[in-house]
Amino acid sequence: MTVPFWPLFAVDVGGALAMIVLSFLSLATAVKLRRSDPESLLWIYLFWVCVGLAGFSLSRSVGHIARQMLLLADRGDLWEALRPYSGAVNTFMFIALAAVTLFFERVWKTAERIARDRRALRRAHGELLAVNRDLERLAEERARALAYSERQYRRIFEVARDPIAVLDAAGAIREINPAGAKLLGGGEDAAIRLRGRPLMRFLARPDAWREIAAAIDSRGFVQNLELELKRPDGTTFPALISAVRDREEAHAGAAVHLIARDIEERRRLQEQMAQADRLASIGQLSAGIAHEINNPLGVILGYTQLLLRGEPPGSDRFRDLKTIEKHVRHCKSIVEDLLKFARRSEPKQEKVDIHRTIEEVLHFFGQNAGDERVRLEVDFDRRIPEVRVDDKKIRQVLLNLLMNARHAVGGEGTIRVTTRWHEAEGRLAVAVADDGCGIEEKDLPFIFDPFFTTKPTGEGTGLGLSVSYGIVRRHGGEIRVESRPGEGAVFTVLLPVEGPSPEEEP
Amino acid sequence: MPPCLRPRSIALAIAALCGMLFLWPEPAGAVQEHGAPEGVVIHQGAHLFFLAAMGLLILRLRQRGLIREAGWRRIQLAAFFFALWNADAFFAHLLDEHWGIVQTSRIGPGWLRIEAGLWGEILAPLYYLAKLDHLLCVPAMAFLYAGLRALRRRAADASPEETAP
Repeated sequence: MTVPFWPLFAVDVGGALAMIVLSFLSLATAVKLRRSDPESLLWIYLFWVCVGLAGFSLSRSVGHIARQMLLLADRGDLWEALRPYSGAVNTFMFIALAAVTLFFERVWKTAERIARDRRALRRAHGELLAVNRDLERLAEERARALAYSERQYRRIFEVARDPIAVLDAAGAIREINPAGAKLLGGGEDAAIRLRGRPLMRFLARPDAWREIAAAIDSRGFVQNLELELKRPDGTTFPALISAVRDREEAHAGAAVHLIARDIEERRRLQEQMAQADRLASIGQLSAGIAHEINNPLGVILGYTQLLLRGEPPGSDRFRDLKTIEKHVRHCKSIVEDLLKFARRSEPKQEKVDIHRTIEEVLHFFGQNAGDERVRLEVDFDRRIPEVRVDDKKIRQVLLNLLMNARHAVGGEGTIRVTTRWHEAEGRLAVAVADDGCGIEEKDLPFIFDPFFTTKPTGEGTGLGLSVSYGIVRRHGGEIRVESRPGEGAVFTVLLPVEGPSPEEEP
Repeated sequence: MPPCLRPRSIALAIAALCGMLFLWPEPAGAVQEHGAPEGVVIHQGAHLFFLAAMGLLILRLRQRGLIREAGWRRIQLAAFFFALWNADAFFAHLLDEHWGIVQTSRIGPGWLRIEAGLWGEILAPLYYLAKLDHLLCVPAMAFLYAGLRALRRRAADASPEETAP
C-alpha cells in the first residue's frame, strides 16, 4: 500500500513540538499550583506527574524530530545509532511516569488524612483560642474585681480615723495608715519613717507589748485591750487595742493586724457626764438644803432688824445685832448662790450681741482691777451672729471666769478673751485664757463642784464656777476647761446661738 | 603440625589460585546477555504499564467523584487519551517491531510503501493511522494543561481548606 508521507511527517514533527510546549506549560501551571499551597500533598503529586510528563515529552519528541530530520537528510545510519538511546530514555520515562501516576490513590488518602488532621487541628486551635479568650476574660474580670477590692480595702485603710497597723512577728511596724502615722509619728507623712520601728516604743509601758504578744500567741487575738500610747511629744493617751494574728500573710512578713482606737475624747466625755451627774445630784441636794436654810435665815434677819430698831446706835447690843445681821446676810448670799446653781427656771431669752456684752464686762472688770498689772487681750470672730441668751446671766458667767483668771495670774499676767464661730454646729465659743498658775490635774474633776475652791479661806465661796456651770447648762451649752499646772488655764464656754432647745435638760 | 597445613602455606595456595583465575580467564556464562528483542519487550511492557496506570487513574478519579470538578474531569480526559495513545503505540510497535509483519520504505519524494504480508489490505491502513499517534497524545497533554489551569483557578478563588480532599 502506498501512502502519502507528508501528513505523517507533519503530524509527527508538529505533534512532537506541541507535546514539548504543552508539557512545559503544564509543568509551569503545576509549579504555580504548588506555590499557592506548598504544603498540599496533592499539588506536590501533580507537580511530580508533570515533571515526569515533561521528561517523557521531551525525550520522545526530540527522538521523533531527530528521526524525521535524519531520514529526510538521508542519514538513516545516524538514526540507527541514536535510536536505542532515544528509545531507552523514552521507555524509562514511561515507566517512571506510570509509577508516579500509580501513587495517586495513596497520595489522595494521605492528603485526605492530612486535611482531616489539619481541620481537627484548626478546630482544636479554635477551641483553644476560645478557651484562652475565656480565660483571659475571666482573668481580666478577676483582676478588675481584685483591684476594686484592693482599692476598697486600701481606701478603708487610708481614710480610717483610727490607727491601723500591720506588724511583723517581732512587733515592728510594716504598714501604718495615715491616722496612725499622725497619732504616733506627728503627721500623715510619717508612715514611711515609722516602718520598721517596734510598736513597744509607742506604748507608755513597753512591757505591755509582751502581754499583747502572749495573748496573740495563746488565743490568736486581743480585743479592746486598754493601754496608754505615747505621742511624739511624749504625752500619753488612752487607747483600745485590738489585734489579730494573720497566719496566711506570715510568709510575707506580716504577722499581726492591729487597730488602735483613741478613747481620750470618749473618756473625757465620760468624765464630763459623770461630773454632770454629780453636779446635778449636788444641785438637788443644795437646793433642798438652801431652801430649808433660807427661810430660817430670813426669820433671823427679820428679827435682828426688828431688834436693831429698838436699840440706840453705838450701844453694845446694837453692835452685836449688826454683827449678827452681817453674817446672816453673808449666809443668805451663799444660800442664794446655791439656789442660783440649782434653780431649774429657764433663762430669759433675748437677742444679744455677744461682743458688746463681753466688752461691757471687760470694761467693768478693768475698772475694778485696781492697780494690778493685768493685761487684757481680745480676739473676736466678727462673723458671730446675735445670740439668744439671758444677758445678765452670761455677764455673770464671764465675770466669774475673769475673776478666777485674775486670781490665777496673781496680780500680773495676761488674760485673753477669744471668740470663735462654729457655723456647722451653730455654736459660738468664748474662751477666757490666762497665763497664771494653772490647775492641778487632781483638781480638774472637782472645779465645778459647789464649795470647791483652791483660794485661801475667806477669799472665795467655791460657788462661782458652779453657778457659771449651771447657767451655761441652762442655756444648752457647755463649759470646758484645759489647764496644766504652771501654764495657765483656758475656760471655754460654748453656747448655741438659737438658745437652748425645748427638750434640753438644764 | 605438618608444614603444608600451616596458615602461611594455606594463604599462599589461595593467592596462587586467584592469580591463575585472573591470568587465564575463560567464558563463564555468569552474566546474562541482552539482545535487541529485549528492548522491544520492555518498551511494549512500559506502554502496557502506562496504559494500566492511566486506566487506574480514571477509575480512582471516578470512584472519588472528582470528575464533578472541571479540573479533574479534564485530567480524566487526559488519562483517557494517554491510555488510547498507549494502546495505539503498542499496536504499531507490535506490527512493525515485535512481530515484524509490517515494513515501510520510501518510494520517492512524499510517498511511503507499507507492506503487511497477507493481511496487508487491512493492516496497512490501520498501521498508517496508528502511526499518527500524536493525534492522541497531543490532545491528552492539552487536556492535562486545561485541567491543571482549572485546578489553579479554583485554588486561587478558594481557601486551601476548600481545595483539600
